[in-house]
Amino acid sequence: MTNIAKNLYEYRELIAALAWKNIVVRYKQSYLGLVWAVLKPLMLMLIFTLVKSFVGIETGEIPYPILTFAALMPWVFFQESASEGVNSITSNTSLIKKIYFPREVFPLTAMVTKLVELAISFLILAALMTYYQMLPTVHALWVPLIIFYVMLVALTISFFGSALNVYYRDIAQALPVLLSLAMYASPVIYPLSLVKTKLIDEQAAGEWSETLYTLYTLNPLAGIIDSFQRVLLKGLAPDFNALLPGVILTLALLPLSYIYFKRAENWFADII
Amino acid sequence: MPIIEVKHLTKEYDLGSVTSIKDTLRHTLAKIRGKDTWQRERFKALDDVNFMIEEGEVVGIIGHNGAGKSTLLKHLANITKPTSGEVIVRGSIAPLIEVGAGVNPELTGRENIFLNGAILGIPKKVIQSKLDEIIEFSGLEQFIDTPVKRYSSGMTVKLGFSIATSMDADILIVDEVLAVGDLAFQRKCFDRMEDMIKRQGKTVLLVSHNIRQVERLCTRTILLNHGRLTLDGIPKDVCNAFYEASDKQILETKSSIKTHRNESNGDIEIKSVSTHNMAGENISTITHLEDIEFQVTYQVNKTLPEPVFGIGIHTTDFFYLSTSQSLGKLSPGNLTPGIYTLSYKVRNFPFLPGIYALRLGVALTGSFQSVLYSENVMPIKVIAPDINRAMVSGPEEGFVAMDGSWSLISNELHNRHSTILSG
Repeated sequence: MTNIAKNLYEYRELIAALAWKNIVVRYKQSYLGLVWAVLKPLMLMLIFTLVKSFVGIETGEIPYPILTFAALMPWVFFQESASEGVNSITSNTSLIKKIYFPREVFPLTAMVTKLVELAISFLILAALMTYYQMLPTVHALWVPLIIFYVMLVALTISFFGSALNVYYRDIAQALPVLLSLAMYASPVIYPLSLVKTKLIDEQAAGEWSETLYTLYTLNPLAGIIDSFQRVLLKGLAPDFNALLPGVILTLALLPLSYIYFKRAENWFADII
Repeated sequence: MPIIEVKHLTKEYDLGSVTSIKDTLRHTLAKIRGKDTWQRERFKALDDVNFMIEEGEVVGIIGHNGAGKSTLLKHLANITKPTSGEVIVRGSIAPLIEVGAGVNPELTGRENIFLNGAILGIPKKVIQSKLDEIIEFSGLEQFIDTPVKRYSSGMTVKLGFSIATSMDADILIVDEVLAVGDLAFQRKCFDRMEDMIKRQGKTVLLVSHNIRQVERLCTRTILLNHGRLTLDGIPKDVCNAFYEASDKQILETKSSIKTHRNESNGDIEIKSVSTHNMAGENISTITHLEDIEFQVTYQVNKTLPEPVFGIGIHTTDFFYLSTSQSLGKLSPGNLTPGIYTLSYKVRNFPFLPGIYALRLGVALTGSFQSVLYSENVMPIKVIAPDINRAMVSGPEEGFVAMDGSWSLISNELHNRHSTILSG
């Protein structure tokens, strides 16, 4: 863990240069440029709003479009940095075979690239908040910490997935499928409060309700999305009960994932 | 303390493709139960290599294709890890393993300078301060803000080399990069390399197939052969040994080459060809400037009116070096069927040490109609009269040496005379 931070600092210029390259290369010959980066959450928000109008999801007093956009921001950031991260080693074959620097630079770069796109999404969120006349409270200061937590979760998947993907390209194929499933298991379309009401208040699954809820919050994204909405839109502190199971899981898996990555790293150039 | 230490370095690669998850699982399970006998075929790219390099040494690494040169460099640059053994490097490394590895075609030349600089670990400030120098060295001022994808391949390489050599590292690893760009740029690269070696005292590892380059730049040379370190010493000796080995290989593969022209209408056939020295002994190698005789035995199947014989020498890549023909020097008349031996004596055989081949032809005088033509009839190996062959060989030095005589006299006495006369 301290190693990651150390490398992140030591190779900051390289990561910055590579991330800048990713962004420039992606949008250089496109007319809309960086607008494409925010088009995805915007489109999804419109679709979800449309669906919600005839399905009926209980969302409380927050307008649904802004609620789902605030859910999509951390979700899209997580999803894209994880899938970019998993592909980051195999898509940089020529560099891996020619020059040495710590290989975690690649997944880290993938994430930094997505961080820039996330920053642009914040502009859209600000516009939406102005439109709905919402003001951020002091709890908005939690946002950097929440984003940092998303990064840790994405890195856990990136490290393990990108190393394994060098050996078995199945990983990169399977990941989009798994991630789109994970979206339905996360409170993106529906709010976490809905799950909580069903399981905790109404005890919908009988004596299993509490266990099921803990299991649900084991998904780090559940806590992340809920907290993100709470601190920005509702002006509340994060719900630590919903965060805790995911945090424990992430902190347990990240070191393992990183160790696996560092061990596999030695053979990247031979196998890739 | 040596700057590079390589101890018992061995690198094995699995042959064949990567196995499926199913196979891997099965073999892992079998291994856990302790009864896995399955083994992939393995290839030793490097086999127990040992050497040490002191600071400031310029070491050339030579060997045939697949001898393990690039694999060795990859270990030094930390790109791959040894199967067994140890590699210790004390200092920063600038790997020029392939110039322009990090060049992105979508970015402009200027943007690529910053990106590549970052990849090579050059701080942004240093790049900024060296930017003009890098652009000037590359000679691409006019195109520096054009995307690299519109560059020619030579321009891309120029850009890559300019960036890579601006890095201030203790050890420079160069793999075949000097053979790039046009002649003028090669010259510039070479000068910059020499500057780094001679004036800045950098440690350099140079892999090249250009043996002359190795000989000129290096203070020490390592010869690899099938993953083993076979020789380590002064460049001249090691290069000579490598020449010998290559020549032998060319001779061996010689007979299997079938690409050469070989035409005959059947009226006359070559029975045998041989080389002799002046004592009449059959010889397999010719010493430079030796007097020799070629003997060709022909079998004539049909009467040939006034044939003209030709004999010539070409390089192994069919570059014709000489042709001699018998017209006006030999009057065979009508050649009736039978067996004849043609002799061609050469005084002071002028070709420089190396491998050549013989070509033969027979034509009819009046019409110059060819009745027999054959290339690559026999390999000719020429050796130097003294041991130091590298002094007089290599294609850069040409193929022939004139058989002249030298003298040097002082003109001073003569000059004084003229001064007096004019005064």
